[in-house]
Amino acid sequence: MAVEVAPTQIRQSGPRELEITWTDGHVSTYPVTYLRRSCRCASCIDEWTGQQILRPDQVSENVKPLRIDPVGRYALHIAWSDGHTSGIYTYDHLRNICPCPACAAGRAAPQS
Amino acid sequence: MFGRSKKAVEEAAVLAVLKTVEDPDLHRDIVSLGFVKDLKIDGGSVAFKVELTTPACPVKEQLKAECERKVRELPGVEDVVVEMTAQVRRMHEPTGPVLQGVKNIIAVASGKGGVGKSTTAANLALGLRQSGATVGLLDADVYGPSMALMMGAEGRPDVTAERKLVPIMAHGVKIISMGFLSGPNTPVIWRGPMVHGLLQQFLKDVEWGTLDYLVIDLPPGTGDAQLSISQAITLSGAVIVTTPQDVSLLDARKGLLMFRQLRVPVLGIVENMSYFVCPHCGERTEIFRHGGGKKASEELGVPFLGEIPIDPAVTPGGDRGIPIVVEHPESPAAKAFAAFAKQVAAQLSVLAESAAAKLPHAPIMPGPIEWK
Repeated sequence: MAVEVAPTQIRQSGPRELEITWTDGHVSTYPVTYLRRSCRCASCIDEWTGQQILRPDQVSENVKPLRIDPVGRYALHIAWSDGHTSGIYTYDHLRNICPCPACAAGRAAPQS
Repeated sequence: MFGRSKKAVEEAAVLAVLKTVEDPDLHRDIVSLGFVKDLKIDGGSVAFKVELTTPACPVKEQLKAECERKVRELPGVEDVVVEMTAQVRRMHEPTGPVLQGVKNIIAVASGKGGVGKSTTAANLALGLRQSGATVGLLDADVYGPSMALMMGAEGRPDVTAERKLVPIMAHGVKIISMGFLSGPNTPVIWRGPMVHGLLQQFLKDVEWGTLDYLVIDLPPGTGDAQLSISQAITLSGAVIVTTPQDVSLLDARKGLLMFRQLRVPVLGIVENMSYFVCPHCGERTEIFRHGGGKKASEELGVPFLGEIPIDPAVTPGGDRGIPIVVEHPESPAAKAFAAFAKQVAAQLSVLAESAAAKLPHAPIMPGPIEWK
């Protein structure tokens, strides 16, 4: 198993940004609308096919978290202003969807 | 009076020899670790305390002897008094108001039933207690609660003015179990959300007070209860109980992978029903083969915490509410349980040290974020 990275700090860094600093020093800044659209819960993603049920245009540009709670040692729970509360964001998932240009380029490159 | 003419023993000389005493689990010397306290030198008499990270340290006596011997060898030293104490390190970072006074939370899990998980949990709690730690035991096996019977704890928990349940004390351990709330003849039939709610209550609405260790006996398998607990609190670590058969090891592996996914550190694997020692001739028979637990722990890269022999005295003791480490502390099984409890404590101390080294600052998220 690869060395797993964990958050060292999680905070609201702007009116619409959540910032996570990781044990390897990387800093991820997530626009909250992007996070809402990346929800992996069973009503947003088909559990059998893995296909997204949630359409990005269903998410208002003004959506924001009301409250973020830690879930055990591995995830965050976000209660959203649109009433959606079933999403659990694992740290693995959050790191995988880091929107910074370097991580986005890594995802776009074909996996070898 | 006569000693006064001799050259006094220097504090620096004592600390220099103590710096050569290494904690075998933490791989650092006891002076750098800050374990040496209250050093007093009076002529040729040297007295000090060694404060370990757990009273259940597996090498406590060994360290004490090494300290005594090395200081005694210093010129001018006539008398050495070493007092071993402990201050349990905190591996539990509460993320809310739940279990604030609890320093470490240990989940005892197994991939399948019938491996002696509850017996292991009970004897782990007692082994830690016997070393001098303050210990709680939460029976989270809501479907088949057995802890009340096994620990000889009876009655119904009192409720405080703040509407909190008061754990029942047995053999010096604070216990909460579904068995206290339902009678022995009532089968417990629960739907998932009810299990979740009940476990939340056992964590939030119980007056646990301050504890060095809270041991949680999980139901077997990888399901609702395991997930609920791993989500509701930050477990310090998990212990996986297995038996030597392949099928049990296969399930142990699943349990281990579940905890990895939930990022709960796996403290190690303990192999129960490992072998049988004939009470007459002392010969060792490996009924279900042997060594599978050790092999599995090596493959999975987690510590092996020990092997517990099959002992006919384990079961009747458990059925009468007097676990074996209390009833027959000198029996092979009780000694194996006690050694296993010390290994668990040592692994937690190692984790706490390495976590402190990696993250010297505040917890990542001391509580919920209220969005502004």
